[in-house]
Amino acid sequence: MTTTPEFKWVGKDIKRREDPSLLMGTAKYTNDVQLPGMLHTAVLRSPYAHARIINIDTSAAKQLPGVHVVLTGREAAEILNPVPAFCAEPVVEHAIAIEKVRYAGEAVVAVAADTRYIAEDALDLINIEWELLPPVVDMLAAMQPDAPLVHENLKSNVVFDHTFVFGDVAADFARADRVIKRRLRWPRATAAPMEPSGAVCSYDPGSGRMEVWSNTNMLNFVAWVIASTLKLPPHMVNFNPMYVGGSFGSKHVLGKVIGIAGALSKMTGRPVKFMEDRIDNLTANDSHAADRIYDAALALTNDGTFLSVRLNTFDDYGAYFMFAIAGNTNVMAQAIGPYKINSVEMDIKAILTNKNQQTVFRGAGSDVSNWVLERLVDAAADELGIDGIELRRHNFIQPDQFPYKIPTGNYYDSGNYAGVLDMALANAQLDHWRAEQVRLRSEGRYIGIGLVSAQQRSTYSATEFWFHNPAPASGLTTTPESVRIGIGPTGGFNATLFSTFWGNSPETVVAQAIAEEFDVDPSDVNISYESTRHGLPSAGPGGSRLTVMLSGAVRGAATKVKDKMFKIAAHLLEANADDMELRAGRVWVKGLNDEKYSLSIADIGMKAYWHKFDLPPDMESGLEGSFTYDHPFSSPPNAERTDLGAFYPMMGNAVHIAIVEVDVKTGKVAFLDFIAVHDVGTVMNPRALQGQIRGGIAQGIGIALLEEMRYGPDGQNLSSTFNDYLLPSTLDIPNIKVFHHVTPSPFTTYGVKGGGEGGRMVAPPAVTRAIEDALTPFGIQISELPITPESIVKAIAAANGA
Amino acid sequence: MKPPNFHYFAPTALEDALVLLAQHGAEARILAGGQSLVPQMNMRRVRPATLIDINRIANLAYVQPTTTGIAIGALTRTTTLEHDALIGSRQPLIAEAARYIGYPAIRNRGTLGGSLAHADPNAELPPVMLALNAEIEVRQHGSSRTITAANFFQGPAKTSLTTGELISEVRIPDLPPGAGSAFIEVSRREGGYAIVGVAAVVVLNADRSIAEARVALCGVGPTPLRATQTEQGSIGQPANAHTWAAAATAVQHEIINPPDDLHGSADYRRHLAAVLVERALTSAAARI
Ligand SMILES: Cc1cc2nc3c(=O)[nH]c(=O)nc-3n(C[C@H](O)[C@H](O)[C@H](O)COP(=O)(O)OP(=O)(O)OC[C@H]3O[C@@H](n4cnc5c(N)ncnc54)[C@H](O)[C@@H]3O)c2cc1C
Repeated sequence: MTTTPEFKWVGKDIKRREDPSLLMGTAKYTNDVQLPGMLHTAVLRSPYAHARIINIDTSAAKQLPGVHVVLTGREAAEILNPVPAFCAEPVVEHAIAIEKVRYAGEAVVAVAADTRYIAEDALDLINIEWELLPPVVDMLAAMQPDAPLVHENLKSNVVFDHTFVFGDVAADFARADRVIKRRLRWPRATAAPMEPSGAVCSYDPGSGRMEVWSNTNMLNFVAWVIASTLKLPPHMVNFNPMYVGGSFGSKHVLGKVIGIAGALSKMTGRPVKFMEDRIDNLTANDSHAADRIYDAALALTNDGTFLSVRLNTFDDYGAYFMFAIAGNTNVMAQAIGPYKINSVEMDIKAILTNKNQQTVFRGAGSDVSNWVLERLVDAAADELGIDGIELRRHNFIQPDQFPYKIPTGNYYDSGNYAGVLDMALANAQLDHWRAEQVRLRSEGRYIGIGLVSAQQRSTYSATEFWFHNPAPASGLTTTPESVRIGIGPTGGFNATLFSTFWGNSPETVVAQAIAEEFDVDPSDVNISYESTRHGLPSAGPGGSRLTVMLSGAVRGAATKVKDKMFKIAAHLLEANADDMELRAGRVWVKGLNDEKYSLSIADIGMKAYWHKFDLPPDMESGLEGSFTYDHPFSSPPNAERTDLGAFYPMMGNAVHIAIVEVDVKTGKVAFLDFIAVHDVGTVMNPRALQGQIRGGIAQGIGIALLEEMRYGPDGQNLSSTFNDYLLPSTLDIPNIKVFHHVTPSPFTTYGVKGGGEGGRMVAPPAVTRAIEDALTPFGIQISELPITPESIVKAIAAANGA
Repeated sequence: MKPPNFHYFAPTALEDALVLLAQHGAEARILAGGQSLVPQMNMRRVRPATLIDINRIANLAYVQPTTTGIAIGALTRTTTLEHDALIGSRQPLIAEAARYIGYPAIRNRGTLGGSLAHADPNAELPPVMLALNAEIEVRQHGSSRTITAANFFQGPAKTSLTTGELISEVRIPDLPPGAGSAFIEVSRREGGYAIVGVAAVVVLNADRSIAEARVALCGVGPTPLRATQTEQGSIGQPANAHTWAAAATAVQHEIINPPDDLHGSADYRRHLAAVLVERALTSAAARI
């Protein structure tokens, strides 16, 4: 195991600071916002997947007492611009559909009323005349030239179609001894956070200002874009930071939710709340995720050396294209996994259908490609007759090869993949399980072992939003994060964050980093969040970036504050500012231990605020520093797009080992053990990280066994409640043993990397392999998720020739 | 997800509830645990004009011994079915099935009467009541009657209750000596509704031949199914693996038109029914 730098507070296993207010119910969520005169919203959603709106009769609804506004898409278009879309293609979406609906669940009319009850009563009174259009449901059928068009302004439902070639793929396949090929199917899932999306918008016609309270989680990143949907100048809209009850990627923008509440507020001059309910969220939140068919191929030599990988992707994006192919460009960050693979080809076909659109969900598409690559590696092990562990080890990038540039142009900053693997093996007792497997098979019981090694990219750079478009296309090139640190006259710390709390641990991270920088206790630090009016640059949470970015921002702000503290102390102690040091909450003349050669932080705070004559002559009063930390290691793509530059370089790695028993009669899967070793560089706080890992693995088990957003042949959403969209509960999740391996990043403060998504990115292939391994006597290959009990029973029956 | 307006009554005496039911007729619904009714109202799939909340009625939640068995009040919570000592000792099948219903928070509210009246084809308690030959005591203003479990379930959310009637009590006759029971199910997710569930009772003679076998299933049709032919076929047979395997084969012929939906195809349900019947009978007999 690599040695870790010594820290006092970084890495300490302290309790999460966020928890008390969450557990005691004092944290304020969007739905807690109550304002005088506030109205409530309900949205009428399309019952059809694809239909033209001929006429909407809202007259009866408008008559209902307590109803203030009944807003159709056509009327809304006068107050709103289309919702933000970050794609180059002309796929236009409105908060409320105008001419036609493109998925079952799309908003058609919004009502603002005194209560949500009345608003829903009003929906009952609205009559719509429809012209039904043929639904486009199956993505392969949607690709056919004669398929009905989801967007008539596009020539085809294939909205993006391009082959990216990184390195000499043709030559690598030509020199390969074998090519392992699989068609693999990953199902449409959805983020389904505990708290649905929502917004309270309050427009003041007098001042022309709008206040927004919403659980959008990138407020300082995208508020200015959402303001344009609201047809307001960005500086006239203030987004207040809210506690966010989970996002997993589903709350990055929320243009529709904020647009609807904002439009109704502009029309009424009153505050308006729109909270999605669960059906709104499952059918129309825009947080469906990768829905892919891969024709995947791995070229290798007979001794098991990987040469090249080819991924032909068909991806069902649903009806709109908000983040373009973000779920596929994400794959390019770690397309070769932890292995030396010389070249990569990715053919990407993004297909529009009549479904709620796909955006990003924890893993953002890399979850899928990890599963695909590990499926290929296991298939290669089976075909070559090489043990899967040895095959992986044989191909690992070695610790002395970092930073390692992969064929796509991204970098892996650091890693020790064999070290992670060995740590997992040391904790898994595989010999025991192999023996049990043999013993139990003789009793007609089937247990299996799944082991995978996979990457967890972290800390994205914004170039990934646009580099798939040919030059000269370009876009954002920074993903900054800021922190302000102020020390008050009595020495207390105030840290201000510009990204929201979305369920992770930003307060714990910042308190620990400040404690590290100033050698104070984390409990001395108060933390608050700032609205966009006072906002500093911040991209917010997403892509496992916040721990890295906040650490860097704290370091920067602390350096500024310490610099001033040292100047003040040096001035008072008649010493040189370069000779000052911070120790145990005091500033000392370096090396001296007599307290009279030191000042407490409180002493310095008091001087800085209220004793101007004690400060160096040209110094301003006060003691604070802000710092905006930009991505520490990113580079632009080349014009040919054969080298995408460094865009996701803080590369974590993990090994998961799942041990399962399959009841071959019922198809039910039970976990016997689950071991997870993660390497995300320096660990900031073990328990916060373990929470992320365990929660992620739960979602990984969910996609492996349960979760699937299903649509009927008519395009109806069949999974619009939690009765039919099956999330795992704690009862479905084993007791997961988590271990940390530490290989610090050379590029970040303290050596941290992001660890927010790894659990979900690595667990699915481990679970898949464990089930496949259990079913070895039947010779079954698993190529599709979720692995349902029924699918297992059917596969066994087919294998038995039944 | 908010219901339309409704009138709400919360009587404290059963007689008052019956009068209200008589007055409001088909427009009224009883509110018990609310775990099925309230979500349906929130989604506006049912729109009762009047709710008669029976939660404040005294003496509707109880478990009592009778001369021939036990009597359970309609408002008895699922949690009680799971933990009650009398149920545990006299009718452990009920407790065993109750554990599969939802999660503790759901079981703390949901009631026996509500589950039976709701008549979900995948619910656990209806087949248990079939297998136990339960009698359902039904009251309306001015009269009462008893319906056997076998005659009670008519279809999804359909029972033999008529307008103005409510379930007041469920009576469960004791099992004969030498009886054992078992409930098992397969669901996609722990705590979820069963794809298929099986309640089995086996009564053995002194020579361990089968005196009586009872098999009831959920998840294989519009109502819970009592597999009478399968039961008949095992009478007199030795309680061994061969007999249970034969029962598994037999039960498949009794399942006429199983549902085919998101959570399980018709074929899979028929297959599961066979596997679970064999297992439930095996374990019921092993408990004697
Ligand atoms: C998350 C969740 C998971 C669940 N999982 C399961 C499960 O796995 N298995 C399962 O079986 N159930 C499950 N349920 C349903 C739960 O068990 C319900 O409690 C039960 O089905 C209905 O009982 P209730 O007392 O809540 O009835 P209510 O919801 O109050 O009423 C249901 C219906 O019965 C009628 N009714 C109620 N009491 C009487 C009475 N005394 N006489 C006449 N009519 C009456 C009502 O008018 C209504 O039509 C689940 C519910 C939830 C929310």
